[in-house]
Amino acid sequence: MRYSPTLVDHFLNPRNAGLMRDADGCGSDEYEGCGDLARFYLRAREGRLAEARFQAYGCGPTIAAASVATELAAGRALEDLTLLKAQDIEDALDGLPEDRKHAAEVAAGAMRAAALDALRRGNVAVRVAGRRGAVVRAAAAGEASLRESPPSETSL
Amino acid sequence: MSRRVYLDHNASTPVHPEVLAEMLPYFGDVYGNPSSVHGFGREARAAVDVARERVAGFLRVRPDELVFTSGGTESDNFGLKGLALARGSGHLITSTVEHHAVLRSAQALEAQGFAVTYLPVDQTGMVDPDDVRRALRPDTIAISIMHANSEVGTIQPVAAIGASAREAGVPFHVDAVQTFGKVPIDLEAMNIDALSFSSHKIYGPKGIAGLYVRRGTKMVSIQHGGEHERRRRAGTENVPGIVGLGKAVEIRARDMKAEAERVSALRDRMWEGIRARVPEVRLNGHPIERLPGTANICYRNVESESIVLGLDLKGIAVSAGSACTAGSVEPSHVLVAMGVPLDWAMGAVRSSLGRSTTAEDVDYVVESVVEVVGKVRKAMPVGTA
Repeated sequence: MRYSPTLVDHFLNPRNAGLMRDADGCGSDEYEGCGDLARFYLRAREGRLAEARFQAYGCGPTIAAASVATELAAGRALEDLTLLKAQDIEDALDGLPEDRKHAAEVAAGAMRAAALDALRRGNVAVRVAGRRGAVVRAAAAGEASLRESPPSETSL
Repeated sequence: MSRRVYLDHNASTPVHPEVLAEMLPYFGDVYGNPSSVHGFGREARAAVDVARERVAGFLRVRPDELVFTSGGTESDNFGLKGLALARGSGHLITSTVEHHAVLRSAQALEAQGFAVTYLPVDQTGMVDPDDVRRALRPDTIAISIMHANSEVGTIQPVAAIGASAREAGVPFHVDAVQTFGKVPIDLEAMNIDALSFSSHKIYGPKGIAGLYVRRGTKMVSIQHGGEHERRRRAGTENVPGIVGLGKAVEIRARDMKAEAERVSALRDRMWEGIRARVPEVRLNGHPIERLPGTANICYRNVESESIVLGLDLKGIAVSAGSACTAGSVEPSHVLVAMGVPLDWAMGAVRSSLGRSTTAEDVDYVVESVVEVVGKVRKAMPVGTA
């Protein structure tokens, strides 16, 4: 097996997979070479990550990278997450083969984008009743520009 | 993980025990060079002759119309380049779904000044014989169309294409690597002038294959050296390999029909099982005219490599329709030529069943596919789970 046991475990048992409604921040990244894509939904509390969910399209390592990134990011300051490096994710997966490095890059890029989005929006507005739908629509619009199909409505 | 299921017989097959037994003496006791005149050489020559007779009998051709090569790729190179270079210049006809051994040989000939027409296929992967007829030009010097496609299994109408070729007086090469020993081939009825065939797809050893060249067909060698294979292919014969190929062919002649029926039924059982339980799937290739053991299935909006990995972790060997290398994915040229949309083509997985495949294997694969695809789709942005 060319992949580490940690990678295989995250691929077979993805942590925090699925859509999050009413996220405080959402960010995606796509690797142009192969169309692999990762997307994170973040819930923040006092500037720190309270909960993360991911969706990913791509090879096994990309799914595993997105999964491990949600664990890596747990509890950390959003500011820190805007600096997350691909190497951090690769290390958390106990390594990636040379031809699969893009999996960590795409997950890191998406996590940085999601953290930036959460910081930009601030948490407060999201909590205001009645504005919830607007926030969800904003997130959905962002997603639509990355893929033609809308995200699944099923919460997983 | 203890259970292992091999569903990649179009890639390669295990050597049949009877084949191995027949080969073993030629790695030890009988080691002479078939070109040598002494007794050691004569023993080896006799074994090569027996194998050649067996293959010739199977294809119903003369033994001297067969040339042994190192593999299907060499046979395809030899077939196409041998016909073209013997004629010096002109126009070739082939299709967009050929194996790369043919496609890249055609491209190499283009670079040398030959003209090439790459015919399209319909959505089942089939070449229209009328397209071949229409593509013929006064300077057409060869036609090369595969018998069956390795990825989707579609069997081409080679008899109709051969009839056009014969009528036009153009030699017809057929890459039969995927059909030789699996489905009947009638070289006379199909008007085939050159035929590539291989050993390791039919439970023979790797590193040995052949090219049939109809007597009287103008052909040049592409490998030069000694006087082997009636001066058509230089190089000391791979004696154990040739012996193995001969035995593999003998076994196929005995088992081919019954196995085709059994394997077709298992393939259908697998597809029906998957279709009933996994949403958004499609079977690629011709629904009837196809290889007995091949099922190429697309899982929409799933990346095929993630399914291959998931099944590999369950001990199941299948192959991905799209290959991701260093972060760049190339969807299969065959599926692209068939017009399969990208969101389907990226999720293509080929299973190819064989003589060892059982109903229990197939049921295990269906269960595993349901689980793996469901799991992968859960993480997908456009998943259906």
